[in-house]
Amino acid sequence: MPALLKVENLRIELNTRDGISPVIDNLSLELYPGETLSFVGESGCGKSMTALAIMGLLPDKVGRVAGGRILFNGENLATASNERLNEIRGNDISMIFQEPMTSLNPVYSIGEQIAEVLRRHQALSNKAAWSKAIELLDAVRIPDPQSRVSDYPHQMSGGQRQRVMIAIALACEPKILIADEPTTALDVTVQAQIFDLMRDLGRQSGSAIILITHDMGAVAEMAEHMIVMYAGRKAESGPVQKVIESPRHPYTQGLINCVPHLLAELTEERPQLAEIDGIVPSLKDFGRDECLFASRCEFADTLCRSQRPPGFDFGDDQIAACWRAGEIH
Amino acid sequence: MSLSAENTPDNSTINHSTEPLLKVENLTVRFSVNRKGLFGKKEYLYAVDDVSFDLNRGETVGIVGESGSGKTTTALAIARLVNAHAGKVTMHGEDFLALEDEDLRRARARCQFIFQDPYSSLNPRLRAEAVVREPLDSLTTLSEAEKRESIDRLFAEVGLRHEQQRLFPHQFSGGQRQRIGIARALATRPDLIICDEPVSALDVAVQAQILNLLRKLQHDFGLTYLFISHDLGVVQHMCDKIAVMYMGKIVEYGDRLSLFNNPQHPYTKALLSAVPAVYRRRGESTERISIPGDPPDQITKPAGCRFANRCPMSMDVCTEDQPELTNITGSHRAACFLTQ
Repeated sequence: MPALLKVENLRIELNTRDGISPVIDNLSLELYPGETLSFVGESGCGKSMTALAIMGLLPDKVGRVAGGRILFNGENLATASNERLNEIRGNDISMIFQEPMTSLNPVYSIGEQIAEVLRRHQALSNKAAWSKAIELLDAVRIPDPQSRVSDYPHQMSGGQRQRVMIAIALACEPKILIADEPTTALDVTVQAQIFDLMRDLGRQSGSAIILITHDMGAVAEMAEHMIVMYAGRKAESGPVQKVIESPRHPYTQGLINCVPHLLAELTEERPQLAEIDGIVPSLKDFGRDECLFASRCEFADTLCRSQRPPGFDFGDDQIAACWRAGEIH
Repeated sequence: MSLSAENTPDNSTINHSTEPLLKVENLTVRFSVNRKGLFGKKEYLYAVDDVSFDLNRGETVGIVGESGSGKTTTALAIARLVNAHAGKVTMHGEDFLALEDEDLRRARARCQFIFQDPYSSLNPRLRAEAVVREPLDSLTTLSEAEKRESIDRLFAEVGLRHEQQRLFPHQFSGGQRQRIGIARALATRPDLIICDEPVSALDVAVQAQILNLLRKLQHDFGLTYLFISHDLGVVQHMCDKIAVMYMGKIVEYGDRLSLFNNPQHPYTKALLSAVPAVYRRRGESTERISIPGDPPDQITKPAGCRFANRCPMSMDVCTEDQPELTNITGSHRAACFLTQ
């Protein structure tokens, strides 16, 4: 089966006050139909930039694809025209944003906002688009969709708004759904509902999902493959189960161990949480030929500080970009 | 009467008794909402409804719940940052809600707050040292030299460098800003610190630093925390006793082991099962209990249990009567007819 989306050696540069920084540096990935791939990392590691690049939504004049290709069904999106991207966006590839509160237009009813996509991409009539909007609201389990369809965003709760966003994103049955922190602003019980919904819809329509998150639990529950990003580079990638159970990159280990996970059987014992000292380096340091995690890493030695580590293969597709990954378990 | 910041807990007479440091009894907070025009009947939203719990010295009590459950309002009412409609908050044997003027100022020095958002809770025009100095100026009568010394010590305690005192909030990262917020809360050497979602605005890797710092400070200074969070993993890690709130009511209360290993209320069970499992073992051992829908409209209070319309085990009695918080084992209590 050919890959639906293939990113090859992608490099994205941003103009900053200190010059040009590679916010995405040599990223490659493959996404197959029906698969869920997850991007994990702290803020400022380039997770959202990758999503924006795939959507062709990099900020004008500030960011650009400086190298590599983004192949969607064999077509390079990095060089596609704006007209062509407009056809693809919201149709073949759509995106759910983090903030359900601010990403809907407050002056249009939600039915209008769903119908707009259908009219634009599928050339449906007003009436047909409106009744499809009701169907979609029903599919994302908004109760009483007949009357809710003419509601405005402020009349809905956060979870309902995010479901409306999903309805818009799924309106044209996209081949790829990019979800950028879709549940960060929501409560856990609502998050569980949204995840169920995304899983069901993915299964029914066979679309592939790219899930961007910082929550390892969400990754474990939703994705088959994961990519851990650090400072614009791939730190570790591989099958979710394997990476979580035996991470090779110290950053992946840190990300897993620094969060107090809910335990199945709780005991009196309360060990200190693992800390990752320091913060993500500033953009001006991103291009350096060294391991960018070295300044926060307890295992770092002179090699780490003088040469960028290549990806080392640990079998089953698990690849870690760390000089000392072989010694770390 | 003056309070010195060096006033350690041992100087006070009340503190030696076994009485809880903080006793919250039947606390109720309501907000008025005008729904039916200018002359319409005034209606009230009960954000916190008849909440009671104790907080012992050196302990951490967590309040967990979803947005709108009233956990933050409870904390704000205890600190007198919103007005309570009814109920009693006793701190050090004094009725905290009835204090005025000088007594209130003295009491405030013993109860401080750490806020959720380290970006908006620090004055952008003040240098870090001035932020930490504010409570010393307004709540204590220390001399200038003592204040200087306190500030230096506080910066060291929260892990900030001496030269960072001169910087403005925007020059710090989120985690460092939260450290300034913690230093400010510690400035008057309070007994009780209310932490309102202290790490939820921070990056995952930074959360661990702040949580470890809070536990270290608690250990070093015998602090008592009231810890508000929506993150069950964080609450499990930090708290000794936990109150689960739903729509303004405590639906379950218990110590850490008993509540997490043996949850009784269907809402607590649903909440726990909704947290995604990182390790396969927990994922397999927990059965997902899904609760559809959203909490009902808070203004029209249902006659029965507030959770009844979403509860998978709801019975007839649940929509008619309100379940009381009753003992199950030891201090473990739940407000559910199934457990009674």
